[in-house]
Amino acid sequence: MSDFLIHVISVSCIYGILALSLNLQAGFTGLMNFGLIAMFGCGVYGAGLVHRFGLPVALGPALALILAVLMGLFLARLGRRLSTDYWGIATLSIAEIARIFATNLEPLTGGAQGISGLPLLFSGLRPWDGAARLALFAVILGVAWLICERLVRSNFGLGMKLIREEPQLARALGYDIDRIRSTVMVIASVIAAVAGVLYAHYLSFVGPELLLAPETFLIWAMVIIGGIANNRGVIAGAFAMQFMMAYVPFVKDYFALPSDFVAAARLMLSGGVILGFLLLRPQGIFPERVGGRHDH
Amino acid sequence: MVQFIFDTLFRAADLALIAVALSAVYSLIRFPNVALVQYAVVGAFVGMALQQQGVPIVPAVLLASLLVGGIAQVFNAVIFQRLLRLDPAIALIGSLALSMVLSAGFLLGFGPAAQRFSVQVAPATRVFGVRVTEMQVLTGGLTVAILIAFALLLFRTPLGREMRAVSTNPVLAAATGVNTARVTGLVVFLSGVIAALGGAMLALRGSVSIDMGTNMLLPVFAAAILGGLGNAFGAVFGAIVIAAAETLITNLNFGPIVGQDHVFLPASYAPAASFALLVAVLLFRPRGIFVSEVTRV
Repeated sequence: MSDFLIHVISVSCIYGILALSLNLQAGFTGLMNFGLIAMFGCGVYGAGLVHRFGLPVALGPALALILAVLMGLFLARLGRRLSTDYWGIATLSIAEIARIFATNLEPLTGGAQGISGLPLLFSGLRPWDGAARLALFAVILGVAWLICERLVRSNFGLGMKLIREEPQLARALGYDIDRIRSTVMVIASVIAAVAGVLYAHYLSFVGPELLLAPETFLIWAMVIIGGIANNRGVIAGAFAMQFMMAYVPFVKDYFALPSDFVAAARLMLSGGVILGFLLLRPQGIFPERVGGRHDH
Repeated sequence: MVQFIFDTLFRAADLALIAVALSAVYSLIRFPNVALVQYAVVGAFVGMALQQQGVPIVPAVLLASLLVGGIAQVFNAVIFQRLLRLDPAIALIGSLALSMVLSAGFLLGFGPAAQRFSVQVAPATRVFGVRVTEMQVLTGGLTVAILIAFALLLFRTPLGREMRAVSTNPVLAAATGVNTARVTGLVVFLSGVIAALGGAMLALRGSVSIDMGTNMLLPVFAAAILGGLGNAFGAVFGAIVIAAAETLITNLNFGPIVGQDHVFLPASYAPAASFALLVAVLLFRPRGIFVSEVTRV
């Protein structure tokens, strides 16, 4: 396999983890989180800050975990009294606040230059380091997928889907909506933060431009294209979007287009895919399987 | 102090028109249409393009805003009416996606550089010790005039009465012979026109670049939500509060708190102030400061 292909598949695996996280929230529980990138940012900056202050690398995931749990709980707390659309806007604002602080708190986060020189995973295994990273990412994606599948097929998962479909019925049946929402947000946030830690050590760089709002909508595009509330589908969606994004620069070179084309095409692809699928096939390529097996 | 009031008022004028448009359209179509901030950019760019073709500035701005009103109706019919049948949250995602596609279009069509109308730039004059340009006063006055015109339309005409009736109780309004589809279409058209005028005012006061819509998104939302989404004139109040918060956070001397003489936050924190205010309002007063549900028409 060429290095380029390994790179694209590695990034696809990381985004697959993010798509699973968003799917838990938006797909199964109906929580329209437009600030997912802040949860990812907890992981990215958890790893970055530990490196910047010379702490052992192993503390990165620990810091990321703490930040992610706090972020998940805070967003869930906000959702307690807000309707879906207000909450969506609130999550978007929180992600932007996080990015503004990451850009401006220079003594802590390194400001706009970010933090570079994070240790690369498996750098000792050259020339097989790329393949080793890919294997690790694929394994973690598989584990995340298993966790998500087990979760949505459990009794707890039934509660999640009931909240999505009929929140008032769920409350009447005795489901504790606030507790289920907080649990889902914390689990999803931790999954997204794991992706963030992996990505930070993959790029070996951490900066505020990783937290831009369009990145959230790229993940939304993956979930919508693959099939909202279908775990396998959203992973397929992550691969589809990443491969399309990866070949945009080649299209630019082939047709000798201006350099703005790459940035515009990325926005156009995310936005266009979301709009096209919502209008023409809102259930995505792989629709949710209703009913089916449940582990009790 | 006077400087602070002027800064706040001009920033509020930036936000007010688009926030009012957002709020007005929310009152009839129950989802916040994020793409409105991009309609404002379309209005500014089309106006500038028309002016470059030799159209005088006033008809150029008017034509551009009418055109954007039409575009708003087309998008509403083709995209949002269909998505709303699925779910208002889906329509919100659709409008975010549409904003991304539009901003990609701006990047390809106009390039990343900021653009401005070609108007004579008069040097700033001093009023009460504050630097003000002629354009600021002119566009500020126009903004107020547009807001008053919209208020008169809403509260003093039969059409405005129908609009308020449809937003309060669409079923009852339809039963009493109001053509709800026509009224909704008109409000969508008006929201496009007002947003485009807001964009043009911004362009007249300074310059407009393609990411203006993206940068305006959250402050405009914060203003509209603060005023109670659906309450068009609450949005004006919201715009003033947001503008004051943004101005205050960058002009306040934090020195005494940290034990130094002068500590000012960089201007890049200004947006964070308005978003934080938005989050705080949502935490403690989830439906905005003024609740939009009216009890009588």
